[in-house]
Amino acid sequence: MSCPILTRRGMLTAAAGAAMLPFARQAAHAATPVSLQLSWLHSVQFAGSYLAQKNGWWQDAGLDVSLLQGGPNAPVEPPVVSGSALVGISAADYTAAAVAQGAKFKIIGVAMQKNPFAIASLSGNPVTSPAELVGRKIGMALANTPVLQALCILNDVDFDAIEIVPTQYSAQPLVSGEVDCLLCWETDLPVAMAINGIEARTMLMADHGYAVHSQTYIATEDSLRDRRAELVALMSGELRGWQAYQTDTDAAAELTVQMFPDAGLDLATQKLQAERQVPLMFSDLTAQRGFGWFSDDSVQANIKTLALLGREVTPDLWDRSILEEVHG
Amino acid sequence: MMRVASVGPPLLGGVLLIMGWGALAAVLRGGHLVAGPAEVAGWIAANPGLLGRALGKTLTNATLGFLAGNLVAIALAGVAMIWPRLLNLISGLALVVFCLPLIATGPILRVLMGPGDGPQIVLAALAVYYTTLIPLLTGLRATPAVWLDLVHSYGRGRWSELIHVRARAALPYLFAGLQIAAPAAFLGAMVGEFTGAEQGMGVLTIRFMRALDVPALWAIAVVAAAVSMVVYGAIGAVARMVLHDRPPVILSPPRGKPVSGLSRLFQPALLIAAVLVLWWAGMALPGMNPFFAKSPQDVLAALTTAPQAAATRDTLWTALTETAVFLLPGYVAGLMLGAGLAIALVLVPNLSTLVMPIAVALRSVPIVTTAPLIVLFLGRGALGTISLVAAMVFFPTLVACLHGMRQAPGQILDVFHIYAAGRLRQMAHIRIPAMLPAFFAAARMSVPAAILAVTVVEWLTTGRGLGSLMALSASVSDYNMLWAAVAVVTTISALCYAGVAAIERRILFVYAPEQVRP
Repeated sequence: MSCPILTRRGMLTAAAGAAMLPFARQAAHAATPVSLQLSWLHSVQFAGSYLAQKNGWWQDAGLDVSLLQGGPNAPVEPPVVSGSALVGISAADYTAAAVAQGAKFKIIGVAMQKNPFAIASLSGNPVTSPAELVGRKIGMALANTPVLQALCILNDVDFDAIEIVPTQYSAQPLVSGEVDCLLCWETDLPVAMAINGIEARTMLMADHGYAVHSQTYIATEDSLRDRRAELVALMSGELRGWQAYQTDTDAAAELTVQMFPDAGLDLATQKLQAERQVPLMFSDLTAQRGFGWFSDDSVQANIKTLALLGREVTPDLWDRSILEEVHG
Repeated sequence: MMRVASVGPPLLGGVLLIMGWGALAAVLRGGHLVAGPAEVAGWIAANPGLLGRALGKTLTNATLGFLAGNLVAIALAGVAMIWPRLLNLISGLALVVFCLPLIATGPILRVLMGPGDGPQIVLAALAVYYTTLIPLLTGLRATPAVWLDLVHSYGRGRWSELIHVRARAALPYLFAGLQIAAPAAFLGAMVGEFTGAEQGMGVLTIRFMRALDVPALWAIAVVAAAVSMVVYGAIGAVARMVLHDRPPVILSPPRGKPVSGLSRLFQPALLIAAVLVLWWAGMALPGMNPFFAKSPQDVLAALTTAPQAAATRDTLWTALTETAVFLLPGYVAGLMLGAGLAIALVLVPNLSTLVMPIAVALRSVPIVTTAPLIVLFLGRGALGTISLVAAMVFFPTLVACLHGMRQAPGQILDVFHIYAAGRLRQMAHIRIPAMLPAFFAAARMSVPAAILAVTVVEWLTTGRGLGSLMALSASVSDYNMLWAAVAVVTTISALCYAGVAAIERRILFVYAPEQVRP
């Protein structure tokens, strides 16, 4: 008989072999498992990380990285503090708040050089400068009141002359005319409106003095002391991923949609978002020093804006040593 | 009670609903608020794979949570019947756990359970166990005293009492609990996905809301509501198959033993001690970092000895007063709406094909989808807020009261039929008194539900009060404030619950004395 006889033992061996396969590969690379806690649902917002994972750049660096999705009820800080994530994606204001509450975080890299907060309005009734906010209705989460206050102080605008309407995070109140403008991210609600054929104007708050590093990489002081090699490996993968992103944002959007078929992502939306993200993430500084870099000047500007938000911080909140190793 | 099944009314109800929905969508065209039936059907037809996978995921988690939550409720109720001394402790702890807001528990569950489906299943179970436990405890007491006397005369104890008498008496109430649980489990699983799940209907809801993809958003809502309606209907069908005994006349002598002052104080003291011990022990679990897991002494310190303690207390007090304004009207409106609709549905049964789908939908669709509509019609002021709260709490009352009215004793109804008494007279003299135990069970379980509803509405629409404070505290890592707010919410729920229970004792002492004894 030429055909192989299927015995139970033979089946078991085959099954065991199949089950061992991933472990065998892992053993060969001796990859260390670490987690990166994202700040929101999977989307092209984190496409650099997907590129790093897809191309095996973390595997090359000896890491097996799990990307943990965020969500409306999934704050970044607890998993990073408790150690279930090595690095989290936060923002300088949230990190400063957590540090004030006793968390020992450092900002080890800055993905968004320019803060993505924007004031979005419809073209027929545009808001193009902070002064034009006076007498308008703005839809936003009340939690962001300090952000608007800071913008007003920075631009000498009467905060009390703006009417705040607490809304859900959706463009609907603006589209239906309930409010004149929205406080939102440059890269989400305005993109959604554009895809729906609604012409919207945005005023980037970063262009009016609001300097708060966003999409920052945070790690604990303990990790910076004890797990340096892993941090350097993780950040070097991020660096390669985001460099690839910069060269072809459409490909990054396509990869995102392909990697997360159950996330309900729309390719056109992702492509547009990927494109609009570029000026926020890449600047002359990053062209010169590399992705994620931050200058002492920008740190000083952040300290000034954070003070307006009620957060007293020192330059110690930032730690450039991991980036220096990555780029060096 | 033979009823001829007819297709006419349900079909008519369904058609009317879809026509109303289509008309609403047509009127609001262009506002990005409502997608009509055709758009929704088109989206579903174009995305069967995405929708199917998301539905499979959420439905699986909801089912597991439904089973786990209801089994826990049944086990707790059984324990409370066998050891009546534990009753107050069990129902007190159950209340406290039910009061824990999602915004506090979600991230902790995620840290403890890691990536995967754990938090979604736990949150679905947490959403259902309480609304099963409370009706069940009522049902287990809804027995004629003579039946229990019979068990005792054979020298049998509480176990036999539970198996042979109480369990059967409780069945109608159990089915009420299960019907209330069906949409709650689905919603619980969806909201659980907000803690960082990779796939499911909740994830898609957030995505589509931000993308202004109204047909997709409504397709998700319609499917969530349809699934909940099917499960609700199926449980109702099982109930009709199982419950063919006519409800007995429950005669029970009032045996109210005066409770001594000391014992009155002992029960709450024991509960408070148990809560504090469990809180403290829970926060000492591995992985619970003191940065976000605050123990009772941390919260006490933040409120008393910390440098900003006075400011913290002020903030909490302001938020509390802002919340209280909406709480009582919303609670009373929800309760009245639920009981009133139940009475209307018994008087005019054909209405139910129109009302029940809307009721189930309101309970199973996340508020993020429906809130913009209610805000549009009623505004963001007091009326809108109170209506949203009422919309979120009326469903358990409606279902409990419907089941309660079916407990009208058959023999007494026969007497009324002999005298050709009309529906209204039957309602006033038999059905409403028979409904009272179920109504009060609903009134008690609606207390924490109303408080949770207010906090959600505040978080999403008004941006004031305790709900907004909790969301803000979590976002800026002020976990002392978050846990202090949780403690306040829980304390208020417990106090209001005790108040409702005191009213209940006075009324049921007359109408259903079997409920008043332990």
